[in-house]
Amino acid sequence: MTGGGHGAGPLARGVAWTTALYLLLPISIVVPVSLTDQRFLSLPYHAPSLRHYANLFTSEAWLGAVWQSFWLALASTVLAVAAGTLCAIGCWRLGRRSSEAVRALMLLPLIIPSIVYAVGLYRWFGKLDLLDRFLGVTLAHAVTGIPYVVITVSASLAAFDPRLEQAARGMGASLGQTLRWVILPRIAPGIASGAIFAFIHSWDELVMVLFITSRDVFTLPRKIWDGINENLDPTMAAVAVLLVVFTVLLLWADGELRRRRES
Amino acid sequence: MSGTAAAGHALDLRGLTRRYGTFTAVRGVSLRVERGQFLTLLGPSGSGKTTILMMVAGFVPPSEGQVLLDGADITPLPPERRHFGMVFQGYALFPHMTVAENVVFPLRVRGLGRAERDGKVRAALDLVQLSPFAERRPAQLSGGQQQRVALARALVFDPALLLLDEPLSALDKKLRAELQDELKALHRRVGRTFVNVTHDQDEALSLSDRVAILNHGRLVQFGAPAELYERPRTSFVADFLGKSNFLRGTVRGAQGGAAVLEAGATRIAQALPDGAALPSGAAALLSLRPEKIAVLAEGEGADTVVGGRIAAWSYLGADFALDVRTDDLGTLRVVLPSWRAPIRPAEGMAVRLGWTADAAVPVEEDAAA
Repeated sequence: MTGGGHGAGPLARGVAWTTALYLLLPISIVVPVSLTDQRFLSLPYHAPSLRHYANLFTSEAWLGAVWQSFWLALASTVLAVAAGTLCAIGCWRLGRRSSEAVRALMLLPLIIPSIVYAVGLYRWFGKLDLLDRFLGVTLAHAVTGIPYVVITVSASLAAFDPRLEQAARGMGASLGQTLRWVILPRIAPGIASGAIFAFIHSWDELVMVLFITSRDVFTLPRKIWDGINENLDPTMAAVAVLLVVFTVLLLWADGELRRRRES
Repeated sequence: MSGTAAAGHALDLRGLTRRYGTFTAVRGVSLRVERGQFLTLLGPSGSGKTTILMMVAGFVPPSEGQVLLDGADITPLPPERRHFGMVFQGYALFPHMTVAENVVFPLRVRGLGRAERDGKVRAALDLVQLSPFAERRPAQLSGGQQQRVALARALVFDPALLLLDEPLSALDKKLRAELQDELKALHRRVGRTFVNVTHDQDEALSLSDRVAILNHGRLVQFGAPAELYERPRTSFVADFLGKSNFLRGTVRGAQGGAAVLEAGATRIAQALPDGAALPSGAAALLSLRPEKIAVLAEGEGADTVVGGRIAAWSYLGADFALDVRTDDLGTLRVVLPSWRAPIRPAEGMAVRLGWTADAAVPVEEDAAA
């Protein structure tokens, strides 16, 4: 018992460990399942096997879904970062109560259940001929990715000394030069953080995709979903493992960025 | 950095007023700074001095009035088109850039060629003796060095004016005195018009050619430091710029540049500066600097003599500070040079104080004093 705090009692300890296991077990179970030597979702019978990983990297359907998801996530991240960053900077510069309202509005996609969003998009995209189109999914993911960027960029701006902007303007810099040479370099870590979250958001989004795509746009989460419904192919466990690894890598990168910003 | 006095520009403020809602931060301030002069805006916090600087810089638009540079109205110009150098409070150096990158910034935004840029940056860093630190980041420098980077950055593009917003307030006392001297030498060398904002009276007195004293958004008095110190117009100026005793009395007989004031049984002989008139029978207020009061030796006389007892005293090295309680004039603060002082102060000691008729100045009373 150091630092003057109270140690956790056995009950608190038990609850904490149970919660941790509850969070981690469903994720970790996919690791042995992905190594099964059987042709259906199961634990390995005889010996662990990498056949499903091999299948993943040779199957055109799986690779196609991976690439489609990747390009979608990339495109929607670019849009979300541009829109979210400009929105955050605009609100910061205005600094009025009305800009608080705009910022709150920007967080709506986080608050509204995605199923509601999906229903609305379905009706709307039907009229615009955006159903089952790469552009449609990109726009949907970009808009719902904006909140992550607005949050992280606003946080960086809150720590930005407004006198730096004044100084730049006073020395003759135009708004564009001030943005490019003074503001953006200072908030770059926040933008990168937002980009990582927007990317992850698009990368594993399923609900909207189910509503607004059918055959032509087939993302990775959609492929996994279909796999579970149709043939219980253990390849999707292999995909799941890679997804987890990929996401952990992105989050680790985000943590590194934050650490560098603080030092 | 061509460094000639002709490089400075004259600045005119005409009826500058700034309101925030119902609050008036600056009311009708008018003054003129000549080419190459060092102007200090001096006042307590909330006096409007920083608002005036921000209006000169262009960050705050005036509600009324104009800012003129060499006679041309620049009031509508945004800050980036005024070409003024500015040293911000806390310096506002760009933390993600090196010293050299900070200093080159104003040249970069003006699109100067590399060769020209490099030459000017080198000259600016030499000017503030920071050339060896060009590749460091601001966080790796001391407060005084950061301040010099801010100066180099503000001067590198040959600005029409240099604006300084409490440039020394973040430094400790000793460093502040050093940089005060450096700033003064720098002003001599570059010959530009400087406008400085401070609440530090010593800084204002030692640096400036002209001081504008502000209180509650109004310009209370404007002039050379010695003029303000010797001839304060109001009790606020006398009290804010240096220390002052205030003597109240009733005018008894004023003629030919001299008056006699009566305070109880004490008669004060007071010379009247040109044009000043004290109507007989009226109440008057005099400002008397502590160092102008002498402790009289036995038998010694003065235009005004008053007796009292030392209520408290302290030794300040160069001087003694005495608080002398008198019957008619309240407690007077006296600063007595300690070297060969005529008395050895002790609490309760009876002393005779004296001063000449031109030592004190009649001042107007303002509510703020």
